[in-house]
Amino acid sequence: MELSRSFSGLPAAAGDQPEPEDLARARDRQKVLGARLAGRPWRLAWLLAGPGVLVMLGENDGPSMVSYATTGATYGVGFFVPFILLTFLMAYVVQEMTVRLGAATHRGHAELIFDRFGPFWGYFAMGDLVLGNLLTLVTEFIAIQAGGLYFGVPPWFSVGIGVAMVIASLGLRRYATWERAAMGLAIFNLLFVPAALFAHPDGSALARAMATWSPLQGGVTTAFVTLIMANIGATVTPWMIFFQQSAVVDKGLTVADVREGRLDTAVGALIAAIAAIATVVATAPLFAAGVDVSKFVSGADFASALAPVIGSTGATLFALGVIEAGVVAAMTISTSSAYAFGETLQARHSLNLSFSQGRLFYGTAIVSAVVAAAIVLIPGAPLLAMTLTVNVIATLLMAPALLLLLLLVNDREIMGAHANGRRANLLGGGIVVALMLVGALYGVITVFPGLLGN
Amino acid sequence: MFSPTRGVEVLEATQLAAATKAPLPRRVLGRGTLALLIALRVYVFVAVPIVAYAFVHALLTAP
Repeated sequence: MELSRSFSGLPAAAGDQPEPEDLARARDRQKVLGARLAGRPWRLAWLLAGPGVLVMLGENDGPSMVSYATTGATYGVGFFVPFILLTFLMAYVVQEMTVRLGAATHRGHAELIFDRFGPFWGYFAMGDLVLGNLLTLVTEFIAIQAGGLYFGVPPWFSVGIGVAMVIASLGLRRYATWERAAMGLAIFNLLFVPAALFAHPDGSALARAMATWSPLQGGVTTAFVTLIMANIGATVTPWMIFFQQSAVVDKGLTVADVREGRLDTAVGALIAAIAAIATVVATAPLFAAGVDVSKFVSGADFASALAPVIGSTGATLFALGVIEAGVVAAMTISTSSAYAFGETLQARHSLNLSFSQGRLFYGTAIVSAVVAAAIVLIPGAPLLAMTLTVNVIATLLMAPALLLLLLLVNDREIMGAHANGRRANLLGGGIVVALMLVGALYGVITVFPGLLGN
Repeated sequence: MFSPTRGVEVLEATQLAAATKAPLPRRVLGRGTLALLIALRVYVFVAVPIVAYAFVHALLTAP
């Protein structure tokens, strides 16, 4: 059968005409094969790390950190600490499937949807992705702008620097270099950890929260449900599926690397969860001080409010963390759009391409970043409303995206032995159902805000 | 050290850029799968107006 023959995993034939991106990928693969043959597991794990860490830390983005900060300032250390861990477990379950899909098929997510389900469902998925990505990208530049404002930097300058960083990263024109540069920046997501230490957290309260999922002041209210949804939207979103699968393909992972791909994703989820919980802990003193955060419009407001409570050093670290969150997410989300556009239009799509070879690919990433930045700089633009809307959209669009992912990862013609087993399907299906219910509930309380009380 | 003589042979055949240009065959969708996909479409059609409402509402009620 043609399909099974093409996915046999045979090495490239000597007569095949390699393209420049193949040579770049082959160079990376030789290092991987060398580490595997030499029996060096740590080097192998390091070489194959990247897509998972980047997708998880990329999703700890501007609006996500604001969601965690709001959670800490509204509820303190309690129920939400273990809940955030649970959401990252959920993110791991989802993203692990993209590792297997990319490694088994060597195709991006958009490409697979178009090929296997046809253009009707393909454009449907792409429409969701374009809408979600553009709006999310806008909120990343809102975060960069807000963090800059804390330091007195004018918006045009901070947003301009953000765009310049996205373009400069693309100028590396090599997947491996881009990935390591992005990882180097992404690790600064852990700035929220020292910020949390400045809040002098109570270790026993943290341990009690983890063990008992409490306290939860106020019970189940609209604000509680909204934060539940915001925290879910802060860990699983459609762009993550498209990005990680495309990155796995661009990096050249094969089915032999799935174990390391899982490790990469798990480590990314763990680091991101630590940063997320640290953000809750850092802002918990605002809850203790009775600060009303409902009027806050950005991460900068949290930093300003934290300065008298945890000190200016802690607040500065918090503001720097918000900027980092925006910059790394701007890089990964614009790249996610570029991969998906290239796959949809059957144009070349790889960070291993030169600018002349990948005009559409790089053009999509740059134009999407410039457009998002320009929207942020429009005088009087409803930035807060946009941030809130992005959270809503991310939650609502995740269920359809996940169902398409589940259909693909159960497609034995392309996945073979790497298709989902029963346990993965139960977990994945459960997440889809939970997200649909949460999305529906979000919709209901959006239309009827007084339903559950404040 | 990269060996240019080995070149792309370290890649699997389906990893080559040229190989990925060939589309995969369309999957025959069963009734259950189609029903799921249509349910998704309906879900989004219902969800998008709610999001639009929330956005406009936030704009109108902003101070």
